[in-house]
Amino acid sequence: MHNHEKEVLRTDKKIAILGNPNVGKSVIFGLLTGKYVMVSNYPGTTVEVTTGHANFDKELGIIDTPGVNNLIPMSEDERVTRDILLNEDLDGLVQVIDAKNLRRGLLITLQLCEMGLPFLIDLNMGDEARSRGMYVDSKRLGDILGVRVVETVATSRKGISKLVKSTTKTKKSHFSFRYSPEIEEGAKKIAELIPEARIGKRSMALMLLSGDESLKPWLASLDAEAIKKIEQIRDRAQASYSQPLNYVITKRRLEEVHRIVKQTESREEKKAGSILESFGRLAVHPIKGIPILMAVLLLVYWFVGVFGAGTLVDFFEGVIFNEYINPTSTGIIERLIPSKLAQDFLIGDYGIITMALTYSVAIILPIVGTFFIAFGILEDSGYLPRLAVMVNRIFKILGLNGKAVLPMILGLGCVTMATLTARTLETKKERIIVTLLLALGVPCSAQLGVILGLLGGLSGAALAVWAGSVVTTLFVVGFLASKVIPGGSYDFIMELPPIRVPKLSNILIKTATRVEWYLKEAVPLFILGTIVLFTLDITGILGGIEIAASPLIVGVLGLPAQATGAFLIGFLRRDYGAAGLFALASAGLMDTTQIVVSMVTITLFMPCIANLFIIIKERGWKTAAGMVAFIFPTAFIVGGILNFILRYFEVML
Amino acid sequence: MTIHEHDIDELLELLWTLKERNVDSLGEALRISEQENPERIIEEMENAALVEIKGDKISLTKKGDAMARDIIRRHRLAEVLLSQIFELSDEAVHAEACKFEHILGPDVTESVCTFLGHPPVCNHGNPIPRGECCQRFKKEMKPLVLPLTELSPGEDGRIVFIAPKEHKRLDKLTTFGVVPGSTIKLHQKTPSFIIKIGETDLAIDEDIAKEIYVRRAENGDNRKR
Repeated sequence: MHNHEKEVLRTDKKIAILGNPNVGKSVIFGLLTGKYVMVSNYPGTTVEVTTGHANFDKELGIIDTPGVNNLIPMSEDERVTRDILLNEDLDGLVQVIDAKNLRRGLLITLQLCEMGLPFLIDLNMGDEARSRGMYVDSKRLGDILGVRVVETVATSRKGISKLVKSTTKTKKSHFSFRYSPEIEEGAKKIAELIPEARIGKRSMALMLLSGDESLKPWLASLDAEAIKKIEQIRDRAQASYSQPLNYVITKRRLEEVHRIVKQTESREEKKAGSILESFGRLAVHPIKGIPILMAVLLLVYWFVGVFGAGTLVDFFEGVIFNEYINPTSTGIIERLIPSKLAQDFLIGDYGIITMALTYSVAIILPIVGTFFIAFGILEDSGYLPRLAVMVNRIFKILGLNGKAVLPMILGLGCVTMATLTARTLETKKERIIVTLLLALGVPCSAQLGVILGLLGGLSGAALAVWAGSVVTTLFVVGFLASKVIPGGSYDFIMELPPIRVPKLSNILIKTATRVEWYLKEAVPLFILGTIVLFTLDITGILGGIEIAASPLIVGVLGLPAQATGAFLIGFLRRDYGAAGLFALASAGLMDTTQIVVSMVTITLFMPCIANLFIIIKERGWKTAAGMVAFIFPTAFIVGGILNFILRYFEVML
Repeated sequence: MTIHEHDIDELLELLWTLKERNVDSLGEALRISEQENPERIIEEMENAALVEIKGDKISLTKKGDAMARDIIRRHRLAEVLLSQIFELSDEAVHAEACKFEHILGPDVTESVCTFLGHPPVCNHGNPIPRGECCQRFKKEMKPLVLPLTELSPGEDGRIVFIAPKEHKRLDKLTTFGVVPGSTIKLHQKTPSFIIKIGETDLAIDEDIAKEIYVRRAENGDNRKR
């Protein structure tokens, strides 16, 4: 995916949108550019920086920055946003503030004032604030800060045209306030030592006083002595306080924020909570939350597993492909291309059309599509963070906390995409554990579809053994990993956004973006895999490998030798391998025990080549190599143990 | 050499602890006293009607007993404060508590006692003499400042201080506005703590909730205790 450093806008004029998480930045961005990005209720999903051209002025570039709560960065997201302010030659900023959370927004505003950057405030979601009996005097706010304040309700496009007109009228704020003499003194001295920058020296000095480690690279141009001096100044200022300086500084800012809020915000007697609010509370209730959780999972299963993997796949595969596309293309190709080899290449057992396209489009697309629709609804409704609350304790066993539920659930859609979101987790330890568990045992929707299709047709017991084996492996590995991998404690502090009714258009656009990404990622790999398999088959190598691997496949796992091909291709994509096993099972070459053992083994494979690449990119070579060395043997060992147990105790499934 | 109040305080403290161990020997008291020239101090105390001496037996008068009681109370409350809230080492606690016992005024002592939730014993398990505030506490049964975990769901609390184990945690809470002075509402305790600050709902671990100390506020009204 995109690297934000490469994505830097090259337009002459450009503005950036920033604000707290969940204030509607992405929707505003979408309305200003017409290019849509992921909108999500889950704090921290907007990790990637998105850019686009304004739809009202093609010359104007717009950057959508990750949500921040403070410009003294505490996470990668916040750092990205701060770096954009430092490095991009911005003509102005649009700060989006959630009208019902004015206080949190103003903490950022005050830092923009200090930086001396020209900006305007987009006071968004006034409708939600009013429904809670809260009013913000936007005119008064504008007067106090000396910048423009525009009110919008982005979801219903209210105020957008006014916002568009105001984008050229950003101003530096005249608002200023002072810190304690010790801090002011320190800031003044540091300001004398540092070079000119896009943002004001005083604000830069305050960041350095806050002990912002992430500014280190920026200081590289300074000589060692100056850096030492800065540290001395910092230490001297710190000596006057028992609390860390950044806390002292932020507290001072909050005092100012409080003053402004008092002058601009008014409240009426709070109206009774809405139904959505009550639902939000129920969803995290220790007891009543559980049936809700079950109902949500059941609905998702019904929509994806039954409707998507059943009804839609039957239609696409059974009707569209098997009745129309495959017979037609077979007819055409047999007439047009005389070479038998070329014919096989396209429409043979391992043919690009008959295997790769049929599989990726007819089987995967409906499953992935329905999953992403379901996931989008969960995201936009604000349920996911509540799910995180519910599973927090269980995840602690794995050395994780509830926040990790987002990548895990997303992994049920696409493990590769989920691995990318693992970076929203705070500690390296959590990121490694999540990456490992995703790669090891969270089946993606494509694979789930195949597995459920196969096992569901057998018996409930077979499905239970498969699920039990995979979940047990995940817990054992996660538990051990949490003990083995070093790392400190991690906090569970998570914002619960209000429950909202998702907007259909948002869901559809978001799903389209994800499906597009998935297909671009998956289809070439299916084709590559098919070509590899085709080549191995033609050259007879497949037969050779089957013989070589047979002690493992036949001896340990107790499977027919033909299964080797499926496992081989499972190295490329495990769902593809699963599909191969599906074919063997359909042909009556495996009994129930063999099917279950083979499915457990392939589920524990690394999901796909793309996932491996992403792991290398995100976690580095060493970690990736370690994971490969761990995952594949583990898959075979677990499969072997399961086979042994089932055979030894003569379990009938 | 003049006798300082300080010396008298020390001996009063000593006599109180001896009394706790049922020791009333003057010789024993003189032997273990760390003060210079304890005989003179005792003499002075006898003159001030703080102690009564009969042969080798020494006992506190009513006046002396009251004074000793206050000193011990200040010392032991200081110990609890320094070790449990400030997490100082044992040596530091002892050294500092010895200073505190001489300087805490009655009002501050009450506040400290209330703040700590009227602890009945010090770190070493020795009883802390009760003060007036503790009597009131018995009726009200509500310490002034308590960890967030002690609030009941639905109650409001005004944050008095946050004692985080890590600074990073403090930073994160700060950006959500969870700082001393803010009022938060506790929504629920399981499966996670959920607090409402402003219009933001936050889910936090119990570990973190334990570190947030609040003053209970009757729904919305911060002034009431």
